[in-house]
Amino acid sequence: MSLMKPDLQMDESFYKIEEIRTLTGNAFSVKLPKVRFAFKAGQHISLGIVGGNQSREYSIYSGENDENLEVLVKEVENGYFTPQLRKLKAGRMVEVHGPFGKFGMEPEAAKSGKFVFIASGTGIAPFRSIVRTYPEIDYQLIHGVRYAEEAYDSHEYDSSRYILCTSREKKGAYHGRLTGYLKTCAFAPETHFDLCGNSSMIFDALEILREKGFDRDQIHCEVYF
Amino acid sequence: MKYHLITLGCQMNIADSERVSSVLEGMGYEKTDNEEDASLLGILACSVRQKPIDKVYNKIAQWNRWKNKRNLITFVSGCLLPADKEKFLKTFDLIFPMSELGQLPDMIREYGVVTPAGLKLPQPVMPKNEHIVSMWHIKPKYHSTYEAFVPIQNGCDKFCTFCAVPYTRGREVSRPSGEIIEEIQNLVHQGYKSITLLGQNVNSYGLDKHGREITFAGLLRQIGDFGNTSAHEFWVYFTSPHPQDMNREVIEVIASFDCLAKQIHLPMQSGDEKVLIKMNRRHSMDKYRRIVADIRELIPQATLFTDIIVGFTGEGEAEYQNTVKAFEEFKFNMAYIAMYSPRPGAASFRWEDEVSSEVKKDRLRSLSEVLKVCSHDYNESLLGNTLRVLVNGTDRKTGLSTGLTEGKIIVRLDRHDDTLMGKIVNVKITSASFLSMSGEVVHGK
Repeated sequence: MSLMKPDLQMDESFYKIEEIRTLTGNAFSVKLPKVRFAFKAGQHISLGIVGGNQSREYSIYSGENDENLEVLVKEVENGYFTPQLRKLKAGRMVEVHGPFGKFGMEPEAAKSGKFVFIASGTGIAPFRSIVRTYPEIDYQLIHGVRYAEEAYDSHEYDSSRYILCTSREKKGAYHGRLTGYLKTCAFAPETHFDLCGNSSMIFDALEILREKGFDRDQIHCEVYF
Repeated sequence: MKYHLITLGCQMNIADSERVSSVLEGMGYEKTDNEEDASLLGILACSVRQKPIDKVYNKIAQWNRWKNKRNLITFVSGCLLPADKEKFLKTFDLIFPMSELGQLPDMIREYGVVTPAGLKLPQPVMPKNEHIVSMWHIKPKYHSTYEAFVPIQNGCDKFCTFCAVPYTRGREVSRPSGEIIEEIQNLVHQGYKSITLLGQNVNSYGLDKHGREITFAGLLRQIGDFGNTSAHEFWVYFTSPHPQDMNREVIEVIASFDCLAKQIHLPMQSGDEKVLIKMNRRHSMDKYRRIVADIRELIPQATLFTDIIVGFTGEGEAEYQNTVKAFEEFKFNMAYIAMYSPRPGAASFRWEDEVSSEVKKDRLRSLSEVLKVCSHDYNESLLGNTLRVLVNGTDRKTGLSTGLTEGKIIVRLDRHDDTLMGKIVNVKITSASFLSMSGEVVHGK
């Protein structure tokens, strides 16, 4: 028996889009009714277009207590899935499975730990979810993008905790790749590092952090494909 | 009224096929190995690689040609990707997920009735796996009298980039522990000697229940407790675990109970940190190393098996050499080494398959050589020892009986003796070679 309101979905895994929120020329968020969808900040979902035969995984962009379930999507030029997703209008159905994964932290750790979040592009999604879920968390968010407009919803973060690294223009706090910034940083030995983004950023950041003497167990990775 | 069933792929499909047989034979069908004698033809498909899927396409084309001459019903189930499923809808008469196996008799009886609703309703991309529990209620018709596979978990939430299983099997669902224990007890009472717990992520058992079911370690402990009270000798294995959910407690439990086989299959996939990240394996080499250290400390006699993919996208020579080093470090007794092939539905299918097939073949060959050295060293260390061996077959070349040690090392016996089939006997190891040993049967326990 379906536990959801009938006007929201035909099947427990089908959700009606509430809004496609444009963030930049090629990035947007998909807002869905949260209903009873319980998740832990940092987890991801599998998203499919109803009637299609493919799905993709996206980190959840909204906080655990937000009204909506939201994911952040970058449209892949000439891609198969994301251009179709972007064209969907409010009211159309998508298929949601999950939540999946163990990225993120336990509530107790969020209260007492010291975190450095390292994200490239839309890899910021799980960190927005974490910061919205744990507003008191002690964090620093290093966000690497090409252009400053890709600093998705950056006004939501405490400006002293958010470092924007822009590689193609001099508009961020640091001009250059985030890995360049990372090399200049000193971190407390007990810091936990959470990395999310494309695999080449993760490889490079991992190597820099290992060179700085951090243990592999202090570094958690979520790769975007 | 005969049926013919083709089972492709892994042990999960083999276990599923035992339940399919049970359902069909309950309807009055009789199994035949000759497909030309059957009026019901079925396939349990595997989507892990392209080759088995090609086989399904070839088979159904042949079966559909036969329909010009006689009445046939064809069905397909198992691991199916949405795109293949769509094509199979046009070629097979029946297509169903294993979670709906219980409805197969009705489907066969009502074959030919097509409801418009069934054609119009959108189907989820990811299969609904919650109903798999009812499939487990079907008593299987075991293919062997001494070796059985017991599914304890189904589905996968891990999303490794090379694999499409999350899209073919659906989410991780654990079978109730009471049912598992009951099935194992029945098997042991019937004299089964080798029981393998099955799951796509077998050691993620219970995690989907969020505290409402025992953990994998807890399940092994219950099986171990039963083993301690049983007069029968049996070995319980499990496959495949994921390193992410493997912990010291599981290894401690295996070390504590005689019936829990001292053989651990721990897929590594690659020995390179970066390739593991690209594969989205969600475990580091440090984590893998710690698990192996725990195994060596707590169960020094355990054999260690693994799965490896060579030639994955991003695996250059340096990355491959890290896998070679890992082989030398962990000294696997057996490794199932596969050359990477992009699978539709998996995330890596969208990437360039950049390692040439020649390089993949070279890596497969050279890694197999490293494996041979490691396994030979281990086997040689057993020379002169008397081991318990489960006799399970006959060597094709020599005609001599063969068996497996508790650690699943192949042993060729000094004789052919059908009366030993399915029994655990003492064998004194007299010679060792790559991946196998020879020995003479010693009487008395």
